[in-house]
Amino acid sequence: MNRTSIKNKLILSFLALLLIVLVVVGAAQQVTDNVITALAVSAALALAAGIVFGGIFSRSIVRRLNSLSSVAKEISHGDLSKEIPFLSKDEIRDLEEVFSAMVTDLRGIISEIQQVSTQVEKTAKELGVQIDKVLISSREIDGSALAIAKGSEAQSLIVQKTSLILDKSLEQMDEAAAQSAQTASKANEARLKTEAGEANARETLHYLEEVLKQTSENAKPIYRLSGKVEKIKMVMNVIEELSQKTDLLSLNASIEATRAGEMGKGFALVANEIRNMAENSKNSSHEIRSIVDDIFEDNKAVAAALRKSEEDIAKGRTIIHGIVGTFGEMLSGVKEISAEVKEVGDVARKQVKEISGLLNQFQELSRLAQENFVSTQKTTIGAKHQKEEIQEMVRAANALNALSQKMMKTQQRFRLRGT
Amino acid sequence: MDCFIFESARKHLGIEAHYIHRIVDSVKPAPIPLLPSCHAGIIYDRGDLFDVIDVGRLLDKGSSSPSDKSPYVILLKWNQRKLGLIPKRIIGIKWVQDTADTATSQTVFTSEGRTIQLITPEEIWKLLSDLLYGP
Repeated sequence: MNRTSIKNKLILSFLALLLIVLVVVGAAQQVTDNVITALAVSAALALAAGIVFGGIFSRSIVRRLNSLSSVAKEISHGDLSKEIPFLSKDEIRDLEEVFSAMVTDLRGIISEIQQVSTQVEKTAKELGVQIDKVLISSREIDGSALAIAKGSEAQSLIVQKTSLILDKSLEQMDEAAAQSAQTASKANEARLKTEAGEANARETLHYLEEVLKQTSENAKPIYRLSGKVEKIKMVMNVIEELSQKTDLLSLNASIEATRAGEMGKGFALVANEIRNMAENSKNSSHEIRSIVDDIFEDNKAVAAALRKSEEDIAKGRTIIHGIVGTFGEMLSGVKEISAEVKEVGDVARKQVKEISGLLNQFQELSRLAQENFVSTQKTTIGAKHQKEEIQEMVRAANALNALSQKMMKTQQRFRLRGT
Repeated sequence: MDCFIFESARKHLGIEAHYIHRIVDSVKPAPIPLLPSCHAGIIYDRGDLFDVIDVGRLLDKGSSSPSDKSPYVILLKWNQRKLGLIPKRIIGIKWVQDTADTATSQTVFTSEGRTIQLITPEEIWKLLSDLLYGP
């Protein structure tokens, strides 16, 4: 743009004034010979011209400045609809352009501020609603956090108690595992002893078979003796009968001898002797019978004892058969018990392992519950802080709302084009 | 005199030897009903019937037991009468001092120190006759 500065205008004006002064001085010299007069007239004309030019020039500047000032005054009153008139091309034009640009910018800023304040108001309202919601949520969070804290505390206590119970269970399971191992060892010992017992029972059975065989063999002479004693008793019966007959015969002989009188005295003596012999024989046979009876009774007792022994041995054999069978069953049972005890031990060890894992998990859970409790406490504190902050935010939102309203009021003071 | 001594009714009884006909054994008297309990029955020996009397039961009034009886029966014969006695035990013929009255029972002592009550067959018969009623 072709601009003319005030400085140039002033120089040009001064040069024009100087030219005029020179022209006037030239003209005055021609009119008058008096130099002083010529100078005075020239000076007066120059001064008048200077006043005229100066007045024109200054009026031109003041008028534009006044125009700017009135526009600035209206802007200051919020009217941004006014356009700045560009009346010159000098430095004031720069000022006018700058001022115009400023107004344009201000208009844009105010417009933006309007938008922003509208947005702020809207946002403040939304923020207020959201804050209310957040406040409600925060209260709910606070309540939930408190409930969670209580729950976490209870959970922590339960977990600790459960951990203690599990710990005890673990100890008991450890003991059970140790005991089952001991039981397994004892069951193994029992198995070995049962095997030894079975072997001993078999050996005893074999020995009893031998004893039974030997006893049967030994009993045979006793039974034979019993038969012989029976025969002896029969012989003794015959002897007793004989002695009785002899006794009777001698008695009758004595009676006959007595009846014979003196002649029978000798025969009576013989008969008496015979009777004495018969008596002796009878007594001896009685003694023998008694001895034989004793032998018979003893033999009977021995035979009975042998039979009883045989029966007892047979019973013992049966019992030992039963014992062998029982030992077999016991062995089988002990083997089963041993296997079961081993299985129980394995299960107990597995359980110990699992309970250890469970205990570790419970300890981890306890730690987590503790952490949860601490976190919940922190959450509660955070929720409280959040609540305070939200309240602060509410206050800030309220302040923002108030500010936006104030801004709205303020921006309502500005009048833009088209508004 | 020779005296046949036997034991019965817890006593040693003696009868003069000449009253003794013989001693028998292994005989079973045939019982006769409605006679006193001391009457064991009758036996037949060599053509004679003998009334058999349990002496212990007769003298001891019914306290005799089977163990108190010997297997022998003493057969007596006197004055056409015949009697069999069942003793507990027969001791034998012993000589004892004669007494003045042999018809009545009396007590004598043997050389072995036994106390013997002498008795006659008549006394036994009388005892039987004096029984008032049957068994």
